[in-house]
Amino acid sequence: MAAEFVTAIKTSDIPANSITAIDVHGTRVAIANVGGTYYAFDDACTHEQCSLSEEGELAGTTVTCTCHGSEFDVRTGKVLAPPATLPVTVYPVQVAGDSLQIKM
Amino acid sequence: MAQKFMIVGASLAGATAAITLREEGADGTVTLIGAEHNAPYERPPLSKAYLRGEVPFDKALVRPAAFYAEHGIETMFGTRVTHIDPSARFVELEDHRRVPFDTLLIATGGRNRRISIPGGDLEGIYGLRTVQDADRIRREMVAGRRVVVVGMGFIGSEVAASLRQKNLDVVVIDPSKTPLFRVLGEAVGQTIADLHRVHGVRTIFEDTVAAFEGTRRVNCVVTKGGLRVECDFVVVGIGIEPAIDMLEGSGIVVDNGVVVDAYCETNVNGVYAAGDVANHYHPIFDRRIRVEHWQNAIKQGAAAARNMLGKRIVYDEIHWFWSDQYDANLQYAGSHTKWEQLVVRGRLDSRSYLACYVNDGRIDAAVGLNRGKDVRRVMPLIKSRRAVDLERLQDEVVDLRSLYASP
Repeated sequence: MAAEFVTAIKTSDIPANSITAIDVHGTRVAIANVGGTYYAFDDACTHEQCSLSEEGELAGTTVTCTCHGSEFDVRTGKVLAPPATLPVTVYPVQVAGDSLQIKM
Repeated sequence: MAQKFMIVGASLAGATAAITLREEGADGTVTLIGAEHNAPYERPPLSKAYLRGEVPFDKALVRPAAFYAEHGIETMFGTRVTHIDPSARFVELEDHRRVPFDTLLIATGGRNRRISIPGGDLEGIYGLRTVQDADRIRREMVAGRRVVVVGMGFIGSEVAASLRQKNLDVVVIDPSKTPLFRVLGEAVGQTIADLHRVHGVRTIFEDTVAAFEGTRRVNCVVTKGGLRVECDFVVVGIGIEPAIDMLEGSGIVVDNGVVVDAYCETNVNGVYAAGDVANHYHPIFDRRIRVEHWQNAIKQGAAAARNMLGKRIVYDEIHWFWSDQYDANLQYAGSHTKWEQLVVRGRLDSRSYLACYVNDGRIDAAVGLNRGKDVRRVMPLIKSRRAVDLERLQDEVVDLRSLYASP
């Protein structure tokens, strides 16, 4: 199935400067609201699979997995600090009306 | 000017320093010498996921083995340095070859303390420091076998947990009242003792091992208190000693490891130390601290490299580490030796708490059980050295960040 935008969540359900997780096509996806801009990425930390929406600390566009300290850039998924070595997968998002759509 | 940068100890600290030297444009050669044959690797998995056979060794490598040559780092693995001469600027290898340097980092780490009691040289008694040590223990790890873990510091506690997770029959012995007693104290240590008991570990505290018995191979551990514990093998985790024998007669000052200042430099100009071996002056706590943990190996290794390049950067990281045992995530941040008050957020009997070691109203350190966020949030409070509102610190409704957000 080709990736397409699917309506995932109401934007009002994602508080500012926090991370919320939802299931999309059987994948747990984390959505970060960074000052009104949304970023979607896999909820599971690539180090030991802690939930980034539950254990993650968001500061600007950096999420720190507080289980073991790995840091990721929520815009790109890039690892900013170990122990994680692999990036988290990120997904394109768009806002349509009051909904957030994720392409996956 | 082109220089010869040398790093003795292909440890996490040593490898991180070599990588940092190259990343930050070191002009000259970078040579990384290590006694172990493997490319540098991280040790945290050795007592946890790697020990349980859940991840391959490759995942523990600091960088893929080919990385070093590709990035202009000359490596000499499986090579032991026997002597360092900081005035003549060379190190001597065990085959008596001499290799010159201009700027040196000592990142030799530590070696396991040995237990010297009758039967100590029997087969089936293991320490854990290297991947080979982990492999030896793994070969013994068959469900249902009986193991005695001697020492309930972090390594002993993690190994005991991993062995139980693989359904071995585990007995632990430690002279203290609880696991992790020396660092965390009785109240917190008791919660870790409970964690192990709930998972089926038999605990023997306030008793020490007097002898190992067996003909060729250990089959019984005898305690001073007169207990006899039959077993199939033993794991000993009673701490490490800094690996400093190559410094004898070098003039480099050692005292509980290699003594370095806030710039990771020893008393000898251009000679640095980092990682488990370095007893460093910490400007925030205003005393010397030697830390045997992963984060310090990385951060101090990088800081030392920058100072080797003349950048004069103070190393003042708040030390932090984690210890996963069963499904529990224990984390510690800061540095403390004693405390006037233990201020607890949450309840110690709840498997979810933050306990702060407080002196003069300031938090010197904190330990969290399944409280990663709180541990992160308390770190700026530790670093600030400011007195904290202890009532609010304990109040679960209060976001810890609000304790330092406003002046």
